Amino acid sequence: MEEIKDTLRAFIQEKFEIDDDPDFTDDVHLFNEGFVDSFGAVEIIHFIEQTYNIEITQKDITLYPMNTIEEIAEVVENKLS
Amino acid sequence: MNYLMQSAVCLLEQAAERFKNKIVFEDKDGAISFEDLRTKSRIVGSELLEKVETGRKCPVIVYLPKSINSIISFMGSLYSASPYVPIDYAIPMARMEKTVENLRPTAIITDSEGKEKLAPLNLDTTILIFDELVNGQLNDEAVDMALDSVCDLDPAYIMYTSGSTGVPKGVTISNRAVLDYIEWIVETFPIDGNSVIGMQSAFHFDNSVFDMYTAFYTGAKTMIIPEILFMYPEKLMDYMAESRISVIFWVPTVMISVANGGVLEKPLPDLKLILFAGEVMPNTQLNIWRKYLPDCMYVNMYGPTEATDIATYYVVDREYENHETLPIGKVCANMRALILNDEDKQCKVGEQGELCISGTGIALGYWNAPEITAKAFVQNPLNTKYHDRIYRTGDLVYENEEGNIIFIGRKDSQIKLRGNRIELGDLESAAAAIENVDSACALFDADKQEIVLFIETAAEIVARKFKMELKKYVPAYMVPARIVTMEKFPHTPSGKIDRVGLRKEYIVK
Repeated sequence: MEEIKDTLRAFIQEKFEIDDDPDFTDDVHLFNEGFVDSFGAVEIIHFIEQTYNIEITQKDITLYPMNTIEEIAEVVENKLS
Repeated sequence: MNYLMQSAVCLLEQAAERFKNKIVFEDKDGAISFEDLRTKSRIVGSELLEKVETGRKCPVIVYLPKSINSIISFMGSLYSASPYVPIDYAIPMARMEKTVENLRPTAIITDSEGKEKLAPLNLDTTILIFDELVNGQLNDEAVDMALDSVCDLDPAYIMYTSGSTGVPKGVTISNRAVLDYIEWIVETFPIDGNSVIGMQSAFHFDNSVFDMYTAFYTGAKTMIIPEILFMYPEKLMDYMAESRISVIFWVPTVMISVANGGVLEKPLPDLKLILFAGEVMPNTQLNIWRKYLPDCMYVNMYGPTEATDIATYYVVDREYENHETLPIGKVCANMRALILNDEDKQCKVGEQGELCISGTGIALGYWNAPEITAKAFVQNPLNTKYHDRIYRTGDLVYENEEGNIIFIGRKDSQIKLRGNRIELGDLESAAAAIENVDSACALFDADKQEIVLFIETAAEIVARKFKMELKKYVPAYMVPARIVTMEKFPHTPSGKIDRVGLRKEYIVK
């Protein structure tokens, strides 16, 4: 889980050009707090699908919130186990 | 129960008898039949009649997440003879306060989370919890009596839009307008009991009037598409295919993101009818849709909230080059369009003027705002014979040789961004009220489709933090993409902010 979070954090920070910001935590709402725009959501899903060789279905997206690094990592971990 | 169609909810009354146990709505939590929807809505109506003052001057705010429960609440209000007012569940509390101040609702229907959010406002209105209402007592006699008291010119719903001074405007729509609109829809487009409608619109946008009432009229099923899927076009297409959606009425922004997302290659064999309205649909993206789904019927529709969603429509009947403009077409049945020039004379073919609309479909006015109502809803200057009310849309158009109307732009500083109607003055007054801001000026970059906000301030401003602050006062879609700060604004000789200069320097390269 920690490893997934580290990978995600690094990807998001680089991709969306986020400086070291104390507000950028694992449980901050990435979209509401303006770190990632709504178009970025697709890129994050694409990244985890490629990196972990999993498929995030429309049902996953509908049923599980994926707004924070914590939440996304949780979905990834459930898919892998 | 007689079937004088005096209330929009009579469509549900009829549907429950005709389609009974058939499913009418489905959301991510479940499904509901026509009959169950009628019963539950009647229970909510009974509870309202029991607990609060109801009637045409007693609107009920529905403040719930987008779900079947919202629809039960809307219909429940109508069963109690009160108009319903859908409010965005993500509305900033400062805006909710202004809305309530203008509306003076008889009650707010919400859930426990909504109640908590409202608590700090100390509103002088009754707050009712949906779960408690829907588990209340059915009183058919009281509901029938309330329905009998309704006239078709009583308001059915009120929808709030951005107002230029920062006070939202409550567009008040009659039952007759809803009934006429839906009758036109079902007469004009191939929708029936086998259709599956894929609902994109939020309930506080009037495209949702189509998604709800068309199902009542035809027996179609409406799938309330989970909002989150619109962030993921590819997954959205999977949902469409799995749900066998055959009809959609979406804002162009969503259609554009699907086309640009390159996700139309997956087959959608059930999709037959594609309607769009709310902003300009570019042919570049429409042509991508048409390439992958050549057999669908495509309809470009146009209408302000003040004209009950749709006033004109154009069935796309030929190829269009990417750079061409799609007409907004001709007026709907039982509506009249008038194009007036600066001297209030009727424009000739090809001459540019303001589009004005009349007919039963135009709003009763803005709720509790007689002055702005009097400016927008006026006597037809071409008619001196009788009271002939027209709505001045503020949209500039012309009529082409084929008799189709072509949309050009706005007369004022209202813009459309991702389907949302925004008064730039609304954003400016919100920004100017934030600490350290001396003055604010918002401009629209049409090429990039984004708002640029200029702030006059001596302080250091962090853009992300400023945007978060703004979100407390305006909906998220109004938050500007770019923020430019400066110590002093340039001014014109007459002392106004030099908007043209700002645009030249920061927007047009």
